[in-house]
Amino acid sequence: MTDLAVFVIALTGFALLFLAKPRHQQDWLNARLSSAAGRGLRLAGAALIVASFVIDGLVLGWGYGSVCWFGWLTLAAILVVALNSNRARLLRWVGRDRP
Amino acid sequence: MKDSFRQSMAWLHTWCGLLPGWLLFVIFLFGTTAYFQQEISRWMRPELHSAQVSDVALDAADRLLAAKGGNAASWRISLPPPRGGDALTVSWRPREGSGAEVGEVALDPATGRQIAMRDTLGGWFLYRFHFDLHYIPWYVARVIVSIAALAMLVALVSGIVTHKKIFADFFMLRWGKGQRSWLDAHNVTGVLALPFHLMITYTGLVSLLFTLMPWVISANFPNEDAFYEAAYAAPPPRERTGTTAPVAPLRGMVREAEAAWQGARPNSISIVNPGDRAAIATLFPERTRLAANGPTLYLDGTTGKPLQPPQTAGGALRTQDVMIVLHTGLFAEPVPRWLYFASGAAGTVMIATGLVLWTVKRRARMLPDARPSFGFRLVERLNIGVIAGTPAAIAVYFLANRLLPLSLESRAQWEINSLFIAWGAFLTWASARPAKRAWAEIFAIGGALFIAVPLVSALTTNRGLPASIAAGDVLFVTFDLLMLVVGAAFAFAAHRIACHKPRDVPRRRHRHEEAAA
Repeated sequence: MTDLAVFVIALTGFALLFLAKPRHQQDWLNARLSSAAGRGLRLAGAALIVASFVIDGLVLGWGYGSVCWFGWLTLAAILVVALNSNRARLLRWVGRDRP
Repeated sequence: MKDSFRQSMAWLHTWCGLLPGWLLFVIFLFGTTAYFQQEISRWMRPELHSAQVSDVALDAADRLLAAKGGNAASWRISLPPPRGGDALTVSWRPREGSGAEVGEVALDPATGRQIAMRDTLGGWFLYRFHFDLHYIPWYVARVIVSIAALAMLVALVSGIVTHKKIFADFFMLRWGKGQRSWLDAHNVTGVLALPFHLMITYTGLVSLLFTLMPWVISANFPNEDAFYEAAYAAPPPRERTGTTAPVAPLRGMVREAEAAWQGARPNSISIVNPGDRAAIATLFPERTRLAANGPTLYLDGTTGKPLQPPQTAGGALRTQDVMIVLHTGLFAEPVPRWLYFASGAAGTVMIATGLVLWTVKRRARMLPDARPSFGFRLVERLNIGVIAGTPAAIAVYFLANRLLPLSLESRAQWEINSLFIAWGAFLTWASARPAKRAWAEIFAIGGALFIAVPLVSALTTNRGLPASIAAGDVLFVTFDLLMLVVGAAFAFAAHRIACHKPRDVPRRRHRHEEAAA
């Protein structure tokens, strides 16, 4: 349960950090956000990642928890990268293919 | 030497990465499988059904040793590791000049009955190979592995400097862009699991501490034994008395150890002068927690009570202990164990893509019809034989475990020989064929070999996939399915390479992203 929570929170955190980058905003949101919005996303993403660490540490202990946290962090980031690099395929899948 | 800091770091990264690159790939690949070495051993010893040792089995070991080794100089009891994969093994060594023979018996950990298991080293070999190699003396191997690990650490740090955009391009992985895609894949697998890579390389070096820096001992102690005597508590000296006394029950000793080590169990117990009043039992702890090991425990062999208060190790030794536990992940429960495995696989892919990138980069600068240099061809062939050939050779190791006759002399060694014979064949094949075909063919053969593993297992044992599913045997089902998945990934890679059109849209990324899985 802790594992799932940590993974989902870290994944959300990375997704926000990802969307904080103008290049990806163009791809996924079809618009560029203001720099204030970008900063907000970056802060929120970082806060979620810190939160996931605190949860792992408090529940599993700081030693064991941090080992697990690094593992989930890697996996969450890999998932974000995998989604982004298969964007065209994903859009085709959900039937929202754009020219 | 070079004009800027970054350029000199790039030079360092290229050569520290390339020269030991194939060895590092092999170390990472075998090391990653070693996270499941006990599970692999369980699959490779299908005669064994239970994992944990029971009190019944310990009592059976008591009786067997008393009957067979009554007048022995010493006994040794090896307990199966916590996640299983081995039997409860008891052995006895006779007193010198008694004319009796050394004996060893494997017992079922649950029932304590004698069991006949196939002769195999199981996952243990995959684990040992990642730092002791094979066919060469272990100390030579460790020097070689230490140098490779040092180069790895240099390559990691210089890599962070070289690929300056790894943090700016944190999420970038672009398919079908040739060299760019290889670089992206190398960066992504490197940076996303960077904490793991740094940890595993550094703690790996720490575990090879005395190979790297033997002078720490030689500068301060007359010899190695003197160091170990000073560093670890020795048993109190006890002469054999000649008065007979029965040996304390093993289950009591295990309890005593669990109490002394906050629940950790012994992985082996040795008893010197069993049957004598002065018998001493020495218990070594299993590493199952992310903390320093409990100290070696010395018990009175007849009462089963501690002979001396256990001595706590010094800070340096305990630090080293924790680092080794962190490296081996022995403390990890299933979920973090899979995370370790995933990060290890990312490291293996990082090394593989780095090696391929070296050739892709140089190929791009070459004229279309130019004959590549010897160095280029060597790297290219080694890449094929090692990156595609090594995992396929591991599949051969699993197949040999099922196919070699059970009565074969030194069977365990022949399983290992099979791996190397196959690997040698792949390397030869890679050097004899055009590069693109060699990649596709070895991946195709590897895919077929991996897919054959569960099929052959089903034909040669009564624990094939259908039977395992029916019995709800999660471990066997997972192992067999994983073999099918890896086999399918290899077949897919072979297909992509075979259909690849180099001058068209360069879409080469899929080649061996799964090679290391």
